[in-house]
Amino acid sequence: MRTLWPIAFITFKEGVRNRAIYGISIFALLLLGANLLISNMFMQEVGKVAVDMALSTVSFAGLLLVLFVGINLMAKDLDKRTIYMVLSRPISRPQYIVGKFFGMVVLLLVTLLFLSTFAIISIQLVKMSAPTYFARFSWSLVFLSLFFATIGLVLLTAQSFLFSSFTSTSFITLVLTVVSYIIGQSLSDVKTLIENSQIVGIKISPVTVKVIQVAYYVFPNLSLFDIKTQAAHGLSLSVSYIFWIVLYGFIYTCLAIAFAALVFRKKEFP
Amino acid sequence: MISIKKISKEFREGIRGKRVKALEDLDLEITKGEVFGFLGPNGAGKSTAIKILLNLIYPDKGNASIMDKDVADKEVRRYVGYLPENPYFYDYLTAEELLWFGGKTSGLNKQKLHERSEFLLNKVNLYHAKKRPLRTYSKGMVQRAGLALALVHDPEVVILDEPMSGLDPIGRKMVGDLILELKSQGKTVFFSSHILTDIERFCDRVGIIIDGRLRLVDNLTHILSDGGNLEDVFLREVKTAGGGIET
Amino acid sequence: MQRLSLIVLILALASAQVFVLGRATEEKNLLPLYQGDDAVMPSPVLKVAVFEFDGLASDFMFLKALVFMGSTLERADLPTLVRTPFKREKKSISIIEEWEWKWLYGILDASTGLDPYFLDPYYVANANLTWGGGLIRETNLLLEKGSRYRNWDWQLPFYVGFNNFFFLHDNIKASEYLMEASRRPGGNPGFASLASKLAYEEHKTEISILLLEEITKTTDDEALKKMYLIRLGALKSILTVEKSVAAYKKRFGKTPRTVEELLQRHVLKELPIDPYGGKYYIDPQGTVRTTSEARLMPGTH
Repeated sequence: MRTLWPIAFITFKEGVRNRAIYGISIFALLLLGANLLISNMFMQEVGKVAVDMALSTVSFAGLLLVLFVGINLMAKDLDKRTIYMVLSRPISRPQYIVGKFFGMVVLLLVTLLFLSTFAIISIQLVKMSAPTYFARFSWSLVFLSLFFATIGLVLLTAQSFLFSSFTSTSFITLVLTVVSYIIGQSLSDVKTLIENSQIVGIKISPVTVKVIQVAYYVFPNLSLFDIKTQAAHGLSLSVSYIFWIVLYGFIYTCLAIAFAALVFRKKEFP
Repeated sequence: MISIKKISKEFREGIRGKRVKALEDLDLEITKGEVFGFLGPNGAGKSTAIKILLNLIYPDKGNASIMDKDVADKEVRRYVGYLPENPYFYDYLTAEELLWFGGKTSGLNKQKLHERSEFLLNKVNLYHAKKRPLRTYSKGMVQRAGLALALVHDPEVVILDEPMSGLDPIGRKMVGDLILELKSQGKTVFFSSHILTDIERFCDRVGIIIDGRLRLVDNLTHILSDGGNLEDVFLREVKTAGGGIET
Repeated sequence: MQRLSLIVLILALASAQVFVLGRATEEKNLLPLYQGDDAVMPSPVLKVAVFEFDGLASDFMFLKALVFMGSTLERADLPTLVRTPFKREKKSISIIEEWEWKWLYGILDASTGLDPYFLDPYYVANANLTWGGGLIRETNLLLEKGSRYRNWDWQLPFYVGFNNFFFLHDNIKASEYLMEASRRPGGNPGFASLASKLAYEEHKTEISILLLEEITKTTDDEALKKMYLIRLGALKSILTVEKSVAAYKKRFGKTPRTVEELLQRHVLKELPIDPYGGKYYIDPQGTVRTTSEARLMPGTH
């Protein structure tokens, strides 16, 4: 821990002073401001739209943060060889990965906390202007949704770390992470579809079914963390759901980081 | 102090993986308190050897150790200070934070860290800029900050890769003085350069490396004893190495 | 040493991951579906939101519709295993609710709004929303849109014609669309004569059979084909009964009051089986009907 903390700290500092993070935050704040205007254009489900907009904005800003700040922080270390300054210290490569990851997670948490605050304010403002449309509204679900979105983003960060441990350029890492995100968001839907293909009336080869089923366990299942619909409509969520999802996020994150550490041990920095 | 035994290293280049020999059977012993100059033309393998010592790359054959510990052991680097060639640090970090990081990871306590940091920032003449982010620094300033980082934990062994490059005459003198000071403290200094006068001025012993092979290792006084100068010796070695390849 | 412990850690985490994901998936499947008004964004809004990716978005919406159908139709046809935290228990069969059909219609409408030339959503809408969901008029609106865009395709106007005739009993509109279908490339010229027959209120069942046979021919999906064949069987049975009623009338000069009379007087050897499990009867107007008629012709009651 004594060695991890300084790495996490300089990673956080480097990230938080990066211009990109301000750009993303300003963009998100604008969207949250727009939430007030857009929600009022709807006639019926104002509450749903307001919550949808606010939660989606935070998720999207977080995604941009992971893709452009997170990957960049890691990639710059490798591209510009700033990693020398870390590895020439009594720090092993796995420690470097874990420390760097912690730094990025802290950065993510701080930014999301900041944006979430504004998201909540924007929901509250809409709620005050149109209280009748918030009949089924629940704050705890909004908080839970933000929490879940954070776990999903932490997981995606871990995934991007894994990719950057074996790719040579940040661009490939970026592409792989985006692909992984898209697959992760649609995987469970696709799995449902292929497993019920006869009912829907489409033919799918057994090979495809197997591939999808394997992919289901290999790729991060990001759609599990998306409870925006539940939050928007105030639907109930069981405690066991929360438990298993959080556990899944935790285990997958550890797995990705452990893998990254394993790959990184062999990496050379000429 | 530093011991390199029979080290070979190949790199694969390009998509087709063409093999390029960077080091071949490198043998080198550097004793405590010595200032060793590693001399060679560009691309001769100086940096490769240094990176193996820092465990940044792994040798294909042979092994390297510092203070009788294999360089793969991360604890070795508690006693080693390293300045990379053309160092580059985090853009938004200040020099003060850079040294904080170096000291913290090397296990300095708060008071000692503060002391060393103030001392070194003064020494490399960056005290006035210590709160500015490194991205606003000139190349020479970054080089000096890197030197301070390499020395912050008061290491026994100092490895400097082209420490003079990018420095103005004042900066070069400063680095030279630092090396002499380290020598007077009994530290071991291993530095590479392709600038002959630097080597001539500060080194006890010189190793000349060309195309990945060590051509000559000797005391500087011995090399210069028969009236010649380092430049002649160096050019002669380059010529014989080049001639060897042609025939 | 470090490498070994990392590998052990990874293996342990990987197996834990498989287990936990399994549980998490089950939990997700237990989540209640949203039940509310039509929640699909209308296609003009979507069109703005998806920039240049109209086609892709259309495909995506269609895929969503398929996934939705997959999960809801499964629920409708099979008793689902619901896993509670402690035990597995069988839940009773629930049918697809009205909002679910409407949602399906909404998403298919959105999909075709983004890409009005995309055949699949029309096809799926026609096969499911009419027979199962009873959304005949909505489906026809969709199909008419498709027919306008896909002006080379005889199938869509043919479907519109069939739906008008079979479900809505609007023979004028039906014959209009059948004529249109017969004029398009690949369309059966026989549709034209069928269309003219529609002007008369006669031979309803025969025309239904002919049209349905045509639909069956153009279907290559096995499950759908099976469904159509069952319906064809039902229609043919009705036709048999209708014919014997006509024969009865001719022979005895009056309409039979019950189907049993047909059997007693040996006009009909045996009563054909209704594949939907209903019983045939003759209503006071003398029309042959079956107690399973709701299943056979939704939207007509």
